[in-house]
Order: sequence, then C-alpha cells, then structure tokens
Amino acid sequence: MKGNPRRKPDLSPENRVAKKRRERIAIGFVAALVVGLTILEANLAAIGGTVTFSSNIIIFALININVILIVLLIFLVTRNVFKLIMDRKRNILGAKIRSRLVLIFISFSLIPTILLFIAAANITTTSIKSWIGSRVGVALTSALDIARGNLEKEAGSLTGMAEEAASALLRKGEKVSLDAALETVRGGKSQGVALLVVGKSGVLGRSGDVPKEITSQIGSRLKGVEGNLRRRGALTFVSESYVAAVRLLPDGKAVVALKTIPPREVSKIREITKAYDEYHQVRLLDDPIRASYIATLILITLLVVFAASWMGIYLARQITVPVQMLAEGTEKVASGDLDVRLDYQSSDEFGNLVGSFNRMTADLKEMKKSLEDTNVSLSATFEELRRRSRFIETILTNISTGVIVIDRTGRIAMINRVAERLLAIKMDKVMGKPYKEVVREEHYETVRTLSREVVETPGGQVERQVDLTVGGKRISLRVSVTSLLGDDGEYMGLVVAFDDLSQAMRLQRIMAWREIARRIAHEIRNPLTPIQLSTERLERKFAPSHADDPAFAECTQTILSEVGSLKNLVEEFTRFARMPAPAFKEGNLPDELRSVVETFRSAHPGIAWEFEEEQTPPVWFDPFQIRRAMTNLLENAAAALGEKGRVVVRVGHEPTLRSVRISVGDDGPGIPSGDRDRLFEPYFSRKEGGTGLGLAIVSSVASDHQGTVKVRENVPRGAVFEIEFPVRPKGGG
Amino acid sequence: MRYVAISLIFIGVLATPVLSYADFPKPRITDIHGQAKGREARVFFTLRQAFSPEMVEALKSGIEISFKTVVRVERVHRNFFNARLGEVTFSRSVRYDALSRVYHLNRGKGAELFPDIFTALAGMTQYEVIVPLAYEVTRGKRYRAHVRARLDKVGLSEPLRSIFFFSSLWDVETEWARGDITAP
Repeated sequence: MKGNPRRKPDLSPENRVAKKRRERIAIGFVAALVVGLTILEANLAAIGGTVTFSSNIIIFALININVILIVLLIFLVTRNVFKLIMDRKRNILGAKIRSRLVLIFISFSLIPTILLFIAAANITTTSIKSWIGSRVGVALTSALDIARGNLEKEAGSLTGMAEEAASALLRKGEKVSLDAALETVRGGKSQGVALLVVGKSGVLGRSGDVPKEITSQIGSRLKGVEGNLRRRGALTFVSESYVAAVRLLPDGKAVVALKTIPPREVSKIREITKAYDEYHQVRLLDDPIRASYIATLILITLLVVFAASWMGIYLARQITVPVQMLAEGTEKVASGDLDVRLDYQSSDEFGNLVGSFNRMTADLKEMKKSLEDTNVSLSATFEELRRRSRFIETILTNISTGVIVIDRTGRIAMINRVAERLLAIKMDKVMGKPYKEVVREEHYETVRTLSREVVETPGGQVERQVDLTVGGKRISLRVSVTSLLGDDGEYMGLVVAFDDLSQAMRLQRIMAWREIARRIAHEIRNPLTPIQLSTERLERKFAPSHADDPAFAECTQTILSEVGSLKNLVEEFTRFARMPAPAFKEGNLPDELRSVVETFRSAHPGIAWEFEEEQTPPVWFDPFQIRRAMTNLLENAAAALGEKGRVVVRVGHEPTLRSVRISVGDDGPGIPSGDRDRLFEPYFSRKEGGTGLGLAIVSSVASDHQGTVKVRENVPRGAVFEIEFPVRPKGGG
Repeated sequence: MRYVAISLIFIGVLATPVLSYADFPKPRITDIHGQAKGREARVFFTLRQAFSPEMVEALKSGIEISFKTVVRVERVHRNFFNARLGEVTFSRSVRYDALSRVYHLNRGKGAELFPDIFTALAGMTQYEVIVPLAYEVTRGKRYRAHVRARLDKVGLSEPLRSIFFFSSLWDVETEWARGDITAP
C-alpha cells in the first residue's frame, strides 16, 4: 500500500544522550576485549610455544581486532540491512534511495572481491602444491642424508680411537685409573675429541671436556641401544651437536669416543633439520593448511564485503539523512511551523544546504512576524477607519439632508438614503458611475450650472434653491455644492448636500391659507346673518301678497339656501383656520382607528371595510385630530367608491425608525398623477361640492404630529394614503 | 524473528571449518591399579588408543606431541561422599629427531632417547605415578584413583603454528577412568 512517506520519530535530547552513552560503553567494552584477549592468547602461546611474547602480541592483536571488527561489522551491517528493509516496508522517507545506494555499493564491492578471492585461493593452492612437490622433498631428504652421512663419517673416524681406548683399558693395571688410561690414549692426538667410559651407573671415567647434557644424552642413547651394542660390539651415534663411536668392553662397560660439532656447523645442520621437518609437516597437513588459508580468505572476503556494505550504508546515510531532514523540515515549514531548526553539522555541501535552510526558515519567521505586526497595525488602522466610516455613514444615514459625494473623476463615490429617496435613485445602480450619466436629461442643465458656479466661486461653495420634478412629483430642494480640496489644495471632488423644502413650503402655504380662511370667514360671516334675517323677514312680510308669484318664493329660498351654504363654508373655514395645537397623550392607536372604521362600516354597508393591524406599541398622539384626519380619508374613500368597493385600513410599526404608519387604501378609480402634487393644498378638490379642505386638514394633522402624508397608486387599482409619524413626537409625553 | 535471523547469520559466518578426521577408537585409560602406603600412592595405568595413525605420521614428521594427565586419589566412602586425598597433573611429550633418528621422550626427568617408535610410544602410554597424599592411608580401607588424559600440545613448526592457531588438529581426550588401589 502506497501512501505519504512517513517520518521517523525524532530523538529527544535525553534519548540522544543515552545513545551516546551506550556507544561509549560499547567502544570501551570492545577495546577492553581486544586488550584482554590479546594478553590471554599471548600468555597461552608463551606457555605452549617457543615464540616469544613480544613476537606474538602483534599477530594476536591483529587477529583479535580483525575478528572483533568482523563481528562488529556483521552486527552493524545485519542490523542496518534489517533496519533498511523495515524502513522501506514502513515507507520511511529516504529508505528507497538509501537501499538503492547500499545495493550499488555492495554490488561494486562484491564482484571484484569474489574474483580476488577465487584468484587468491587458486594461487594459495598452487603454491602449497608446488611447495610439497616431490622435488623439494627429495632435495630436503638428500640434504639431510648428506648431513647425516658426513656426521656418520666423522663418527666412523672416531671408531679407531674408541678401539684403541678399549684396548688400552684392557691392558691397564689395577693401579692405573681410568682417566689416566684414557688420557694416555687421547694424549695430543686429536683436538676436540673426548673419551668416556660409561657403565650402568653412568660415566665412570673421562678424558676431555664434554658438556653435561651431551654426556646425559650419550647415557640415554646407550640404554636405548643396549641390545644392539651387545650384538655388534660397536656403534656410532650422530646428532646435530656431536658425533660418537662406542666400543663395548667385556665387562659391559662402553668406551665412547666423542667429538662435539662446532657451533657454526650445528646451526647449519639445525636449519636443514628444521626445513626437513617443516616440509614433512606441511605435506602431512596439506589439506588442513589449504582449508585454513581458504577460511582466512573467506574471512577477509567477508570482511571486505561487510566493510563495503557498511560503508555503503554509512555513505547512504550521510547522503539521505540531510535529505530526509530537509524533506521533513520543508514539510513542517509548509504546514506553517517556522520554528524548524535542522541539527546537522557538516562542512560539505549538505552542511551548507542545511545551513541555508535554517537561515531561510529564520528569515521566513522574521518576515512572518513582521507581516503579522504590520497586519495587526493595518487591522487596527482599518478598524479605526471602518469605525470612522461607519460613524460617518451613520451620520449621513440619519441626517435629514441628502448627501452625494463625487470624486475627482466625476464618479459618484457616496450617496446616502435621503438622497436616494429624494432623487428616487438606487444606490447600487449609481455608485461608481459618472454623475453625468446618472443625472436626468431635464436636470442636466441645473447640475451643469451649479458645477460651473462652484468652480468659479471663490471658496468653492454654492448654495441654491432648486425645483425639480422627480417621479412626477415636484419638489423644492436647497442644494449646497462644496468643492473638496486636499491639504495641498488639490481638487478631490464635490460634496452635494440638499434639503427638501417641499414640506416646509407646504406648511407655509397652509399657514397662509389659514390666515386667508380666518379673514374670509370673518368678512363673510358678519353680513350673512343680516342677509338671512332680512330674507326671512321679506318672506314673512311679502309672501302672502306674492303668493301667485312663484318667483318671489323661489328667490327667497335661493337666498336662504345660499346663505346656509355660505355659513357652512364659513364654518369649515373657521375650523381649518382655528386648528388647535395637538394635545398628545399616550394611547392605543389601533383601537382609536378601529372605532372610526366601525362607524363607517355601519354608515356604508355596501363597502367592505377591512382593518389590519400589526403589533404596535403605545403611541403618543392627539386622538381628536387623528380621528378627524382618519374620518376625512375614509369619507374620501367612500365618496370615491360610491356604495360598492373595498377599503383596507392598516396600522403598522417601524421599529428601526420608531414610527407608526397608517395607510388607507381603496380600489376606486384612483387619483390622476397630475393632481397628486396639489392634492393636499387647501381648496383643491375634484369632488362635487367639496371644499378642498379635507386632505389639507389631513396634511396639517400629519405635520402637527411631526410626520408626513403621501399618496401612491394602489395595485391593481385605486389609491393609498399613508400617514407616518413618530411613536413619540417631540413635545409628546 | 528478526533476532533469530541475525543469530543464524552470525553462526553461519563465524563457524570455522572443523577439521575432523576419520573415525578412530576413542582413547581411554585402562589397567588402573596401585598401592597406597603412608602419605603417598603409587598408581599404574595405561593410555590406550591415544595415537591415531595420523598422529604417528605427524610424530615421524617431527611434530612434538604432548599429553597432560591428571591423577586423583580419593578415599572411598559410602553414598559417594568420597574424600580427595591428593592430585597430580603432569605432562609427557615425544618428538622425533630425523637427523639422529631417535625419539626424544620427556617424562619430566630429562630427555630419554629411543631408536624405535614402539619404545617411545610405550613410554608415552604406560604410567607409574606417585601421588602425594594429604594424610596417611589406613590399612584395609578403600581407595580409588581417577585418571584422565588429554592431548595437550602439538608442537608444530612456527609458520604452521600461526596457521592452526585457532583450530586443533586432533581432539584427543579420555573420559575419567577409575580403579581401586590397595592399602596393604
């Protein structure tokens, strides 16, 4: 199963220390073992062999080191090979390249080593065979035979002296000692020759110097050849250090004529003997020697192979360890850990690479920290700017002045809700667009004039009253255009602020009309009563006399009727002119309105009167004025519908604006768009017999409640009147 | 499993070639007898089949061969609670001198020279040993001698000695043999 390469767990500092301690102990143990084994083997060899301690110790030490090295190598190689196999199975990072390198190293070392082993084994076998060949054996045997022949010849030359000594001893009297007799025989004849008389108890007499060990050997040899000597009467002895001739005496004693070999010749003879012995030993041990050499060669071959393997593993690790460390480090850096520091000390390219990596991560960490600091600073700045922007937006949203900001390129950079509402435009559709594209054709001239005046006016500010038609509705605006200049006087754009003067003008007009109404009522009311009384008197006095004249009655009735109408008109005027200031009190607005609707439901059963209300909090309002405004609106609706139709009254609450909205909608013929501007002006009426004061009163009530009234088209037909005023007007409560 | 494999490799690599020779009757000690008197015991025994034909050939080739022998005398008690009275360890060696054509036998009292191999080998295999005892023997009590011999050294020439340093040419060692000795 293939997967992402796994990482080897990192050694903790404690584990590293423990590992180093174990390694030191192992090294110490091995060193002690080498020394101990060397001393032990040297001692053993000194006990059993002839080679000195100092000669052997180097060989032993080398053998020990060799064996221990092999054992260590085998252990290391085997352990590492198994580790490598396990790492490869576990998909450890770097195991594949390591195993490949080890394989290459082993292959490169194995082939020449095996070839060398075969050649060396052949050479060894051939050398041993040639050494134990027949020619060498014959030569050595011949050399030994020659040496022995010479010695025997020398010994044979002593036979005469031994005979003479034996004769002399047989001839000697009782009073002559053995030594004296021998001396007489030997006297001056032959330098280096000694005479001995040997009995069962040892040497009985002697003439000449004989080393003690030779005397001992002669005695021992005589015992060994006792029977042979008795049969033959005389014998010769040869040795590497002496030659001797023996003559048996009748009494069982033996006379020995002996000559020691000069040391120089002894050495030569000893070398021949030694070579002869070695040859025969080698010949005898031919197979074991060959096997031993082959075993040694195998050992060396294994040593080379394992050493190469270990070297391969070591070199592979030298290469792969930094690569593995770099890979793991890169992985950590990629996952965001910039505290990675690779602990690898080396003077080679890998060391440089690891050093560069460490510097890179340190730089990255520093840069990241710097970026984070900058980010924090920017975030704080941004947050401050956002807070300020939100504050400005809040101000702009909540002020009653419409504001439009135009940047230096003439594009609309900002527009608030009031401006949206007044100009009937959508923010998302005009933002970022050149204002010239947004301005309607009929307003373009006005805007152009203002722009020019701003540029030309010192101080860069212009204020004008402008009348515009927006959405078919005429509005009056007080427009203030200010040029934005930077600290260095650079032109930054324009700020256009405008206030809606329509409501104020409407109120002014209402106030004016009220004054007119008051004066008219005052001027008309005074003559009306005398006219009415006079007409009634005329009617009472002259009606009987003009009974046959219908014109008289008709005229008087007409006068009375018109006077009545004028009285009504004056009454209306008076009421309009005398509208008192609202008396606010907290109450349930929907209940108040519902009672008005109920009155109309019973009065106009043909109309479907519907009342809908939302959850509305207690509202501060003047119940009398609100009932009056509501009555006017419902009367208009009933008049528009006749006796059949549907009227929906809704009371709603706007928590965000903290206002209430009353809407009265009908499905009547609706209001022509051309009449909507003047609808709330006094004395404007399309209704037959209407005074034109009903909606003016509604508008006045709405203004008194610090609200607005507006009319819009109902869907699918009819008209909707909406009164909106604060839940708690100023001065209320 | 891993450690078993490592061990097998170790054994395989380290096992040196064993130089084994043809089957030959195992050496043994026979004819143990003797007498104990006072504070010493005289023990006689014979070492048999100690010299294989290869060893005889090696001897003739000048290789010195030595045997180390251990003789232990103990008082025999019941239930195997025997008490050791004395023990001696000694060596005997023999070598051939091709020049003088004599065998040098060393039995600890200087070299003895014999012209024939049979006499020399008889000297190597027939023993008469005096074992000093810790205390005097008691007449009529049971005493027993235990004997064991093994090939001690093979005196190879110097170059061969280094070649066969780690191996033994012949593995000659007897079991412990025992025989009663009298205490008259």
